[in-house]
Amino acid sequence: MLQAHGTQQYTRFHMQESQSAVAPFAPAPVTGVTGVRVQPGPIRLAVIDTDSGFVRVLAKRVGEMGWQHRVLTTPPRPEDLLSMRLHALIVDLALLGPHGWEFLEQVCESVPGLGVIVCTGTSSVAQRVRGLRIGADDWITKPCHPQEVIARVEAVVRRRKRSSPGGAGEDGPLMAGELEIRSDQFQAFVGGQSIDLTRREFELLHLLANARGRVLEREQIYQHVWGYAMVHGDRSVDVFVRKVRQKIERFSPDWIYIHTHFGIGYRFEPEAPDDDDAAEPAAEEIPSGA
Amino acid sequence: MSMLRSSSNGNGLLVLFEESGRNVERTGSLLRELLDHFPEHSSLARDILICEQEGDRITHDIIHEMTVHGSKLDQRDAYELARALDDVVDYAEETADSLELYGVEAPMEQAQELAGVLAGASEAVAAALTHLRAGDEVSTQLIEIHRLENEGDRISREAIASLFKSGTDPMVVIRWKDIFESLEQAIDSCETVAHVVEGMRLKQR
Repeated sequence: MLQAHGTQQYTRFHMQESQSAVAPFAPAPVTGVTGVRVQPGPIRLAVIDTDSGFVRVLAKRVGEMGWQHRVLTTPPRPEDLLSMRLHALIVDLALLGPHGWEFLEQVCESVPGLGVIVCTGTSSVAQRVRGLRIGADDWITKPCHPQEVIARVEAVVRRRKRSSPGGAGEDGPLMAGELEIRSDQFQAFVGGQSIDLTRREFELLHLLANARGRVLEREQIYQHVWGYAMVHGDRSVDVFVRKVRQKIERFSPDWIYIHTHFGIGYRFEPEAPDDDDAAEPAAEEIPSGA
Repeated sequence: MSMLRSSSNGNGLLVLFEESGRNVERTGSLLRELLDHFPEHSSLARDILICEQEGDRITHDIIHEMTVHGSKLDQRDAYELARALDDVVDYAEETADSLELYGVEAPMEQAQELAGVLAGASEAVAAALTHLRAGDEVSTQLIEIHRLENEGDRISREAIASLFKSGTDPMVVIRWKDIFESLEQAIDSCETVAHVVEGMRLKQR
């Protein structure tokens, strides 16, 4: 059992949140497939802690740095964390009591791109090892200096950014078949000519292209491009994939870029007309109820 | 064009109800097509608006027929039937209008299913009114309308419940809750038609 830091009294699961748990921060344009927004911009951070002194100082400092932050005094559900579109989460496991490990495990599994930093009171080596093995990116023992916490958050976000698809070469053009995808212009080109994607169409293509060769589920695509959980039955992803395909086909008619995986989602893999498995017309249709 | 017919036995009124039924059927069919292919065939919303205007015209003709020429049909039944038929088309048009008004980018499968149910119920309404004018049995059509209404209820409830799962975009909830509800109201109005027609048949016996 983890001990609470100092004399702070921790209440389990019954405290009010200081802000809404589900409202997302202001939308940001481009995402990596792991759940972290990888474009330059302010870091979005949530802190689950009731240590008012620590939280106040930390909030003041990150606010001065232009970060977007929120303080939660109860553990949100993983899907709520997803909709907040965070880069990092600082959590005091002692606040969560015996459910702390379960919460940590759920968050690390369900929000794989989120940087998770445990910042808590005295703990044993076994507890710290357990936390890091579950998926926490860092473990800080209180009392700690807010500046160190901030530096560690930055380091975690930096590492996440590097390891996310497209993170390393974010601003460079991505070449795929005849297609040139330029995230610096939020546009794709064929032979130097813009294919006239809207912002959302670009984000969809960029996401798929950065996960080249991997099948992305519809729900996963929606979550990253729209920034919310997908409602069952929503055809937005299918409609936007169709739009993107149509626009690409106008300029690069002989290539196939986006492949449908029925009942699952889509995969980006440029295939030239003479590729062995390039022509699979049935696989390119949008399923009506997949 | 309007087909106002003078009649002392209510047949002119039944002809107008049959015309209204065909308008309901056309509206249901157009809405199903609009949602099945959304957003590609968005111009169908304009056709549905024309149906709505046509529905208003027929309702006006029905009231005129009742006022000027009278009818052996119970006036309250006739008025209720005219209103329910008008409601089907109005709610269908409201659905089509909401798609544009709310800037919907893509359909929901549940809305497509509900539009399919509405199209089926609208066909049954049209068939029932044709049979009513001809003096034929209408029970098959009325049973089908009740069945479809139950089906619509089930889809609508599940659809609305799905909107309130955690992490959903609040704008999606606002848009689709309204759209699901207007679709359900259109289907409910088909059931009102069935109830009124059932009552009229009972009085004829």
